Amino acid sequence: MVRAHSNDSRCGILLVLPVFIIVGGILFLPAVYTIGLSLSNFSFLKGTARSFVGLSNYLSIFSNREFVSSLSNTLVFTLITVFLELLAGMVLALILNRSFAFMGLLRTTILFPWALPTALNAIIWRWLFNPDFGLFNCILVSLGLTSARINWLGEIPLSMYSMMAVAVWKTSSFMALILLTGLQTIPAELHEAAEIDGAGWFSRLLKITLPLLIPSILLALLFRSMDAFRAFELPFALTEGGPAGSTQTLSLFGYRQFFQFLKFDSGSAVSVVQFVLIMILGAFYLRVFRTEND
Amino acid sequence: MIGTNLQAAVKTALKYLFMSFLVVLFFFPVAWIFLTSIKTTGDIYAWPPVYIPRHPTLQNYHAVLFGSKLGRYLANSIIVSSMSTVSVLFFSSIAGYSFARIRFAGRRLLMLFFLSMSMFPQLAIVPALFIWFRKLGLINNYLGIVIAYTGLFSPIALWILTTYFRTIPLEIEESAKLDGCSRLRVLWAILLPLSIPGVIAAALIVFIQTWNEFFLALVMLSKNELRTATVGIALYPGEYAFPWELITTATFLAIVPIVLLTSVFQKQIIGGLTAGSVK
Repeated sequence: MVRAHSNDSRCGILLVLPVFIIVGGILFLPAVYTIGLSLSNFSFLKGTARSFVGLSNYLSIFSNREFVSSLSNTLVFTLITVFLELLAGMVLALILNRSFAFMGLLRTTILFPWALPTALNAIIWRWLFNPDFGLFNCILVSLGLTSARINWLGEIPLSMYSMMAVAVWKTSSFMALILLTGLQTIPAELHEAAEIDGAGWFSRLLKITLPLLIPSILLALLFRSMDAFRAFELPFALTEGGPAGSTQTLSLFGYRQFFQFLKFDSGSAVSVVQFVLIMILGAFYLRVFRTEND
Repeated sequence: MIGTNLQAAVKTALKYLFMSFLVVLFFFPVAWIFLTSIKTTGDIYAWPPVYIPRHPTLQNYHAVLFGSKLGRYLANSIIVSSMSTVSVLFFSSIAGYSFARIRFAGRRLLMLFFLSMSMFPQLAIVPALFIWFRKLGLINNYLGIVIAYTGLFSPIALWILTTYFRTIPLEIEESAKLDGCSRLRVLWAILLPLSIPGVIAAALIVFIQTWNEFFLALVMLSKNELRTATVGIALYPGEYAFPWELITTATFLAIVPIVLLTSVFQKQIIGGLTAGSVK
């Protein structure tokens, strides 16, 4: 290609400028402002002028047991759901990689959970889990499989497992889509050559498919774990964080600090903690991604 | 000979079995709320359970459409999602053209900036946006949420469009440029029409994501008349005594547009979602 003229360069930047301003104004600047809020004692209730209070908001949230449990809920939720989604997504992708009749129906089926609004999906499952009239208990009790109705969302730790099941159901297929795209770039000749050399299905999976799929796996893990880490509407609409805060995530805890207690200062500290952890997660994956690519 | 035939038949049978399993696995929740929505209240709360409605009825649909705010919520969702989609596509196609076609300094860094912005959690931006937008009168205002969504969803649209634009051969544009067409004119008259599949993918993904977005919609459109469908329905259980016949009906109505869009355009959407995931 011809070397860029300075005129070109100016034009290129000019065309990007509008998006840059909007994205910067809606995402970047607010995040910076939130850091500022987390170091101040701003509150809607007090209505007082802001002043710098150092790290005291952070000290107060880390001594708040509800915050600590939300943090650990979020970590556990993210680790377990993303791991299960990877397993389920991998199985789905490997099977879908073979040719199928009705590919259109299958694609729609796979896309469907992704397209469903998370909040409404949570409402749907709340109804499925309903202890008295929900589908699961209807089947289990009327077949005599359990003597008592199971309180899926009302008991610790069952409520967390139920919430994880909903998340895995909803997002495994997105995982599968990304992995499938990766699978389709693996040349068929590699498998054919290995087959001629007598390699079985499983050893081909371990020695050819998985190593070549690592970039796709990392990408899928990156997307999904950052998404799971900010889970908000799932607990909001499914369990409201209960029972006794056992399914409350960081996002839900932070939301309540802001809009239930109007504590914008300590709420912002929650935001910043979540934000930093997500960025560490992102940086970690990018790092691994780079070394894999080299 | 017979052995291989049998093997093939078993394989086909297994394939169909697996496919039916997937269809059931992914559609049973929605099938169940649909069945609930056409049941009489008596059937819904009957014991032993009634799986297939004994007297299918549309009374719940009538009640939801004429006796609740759902119609209003759906209208709000349609307004917010379509305005946001148009706005996102307008800004990101201009920028996408620049990323795909013009070599300028800092291009890679800028793309990295946009990609990392798309990782920002809503919780980190919500306090500042709420305080600022309240001062500007943009809370409980369609314009406010459209601006917010433009910022939130432009990075993904930008990524999809840039990836797509790069697949279009340069030659046609170059001859147009020789004829003295300006850059924006090249984008509008040549590149965009050639990129229709990419544009559709980006538009659908943005539309679906704005339709489904919850956190900002909850905070920025808090007045009951302005709530989007997702928020309005999700707040139902808290405000009333769990009228499940109405909740399931409203939920079903709110996901129908999304289901239709994805089943008609599944190919384009999958193409967009996985754009650039292979490099």
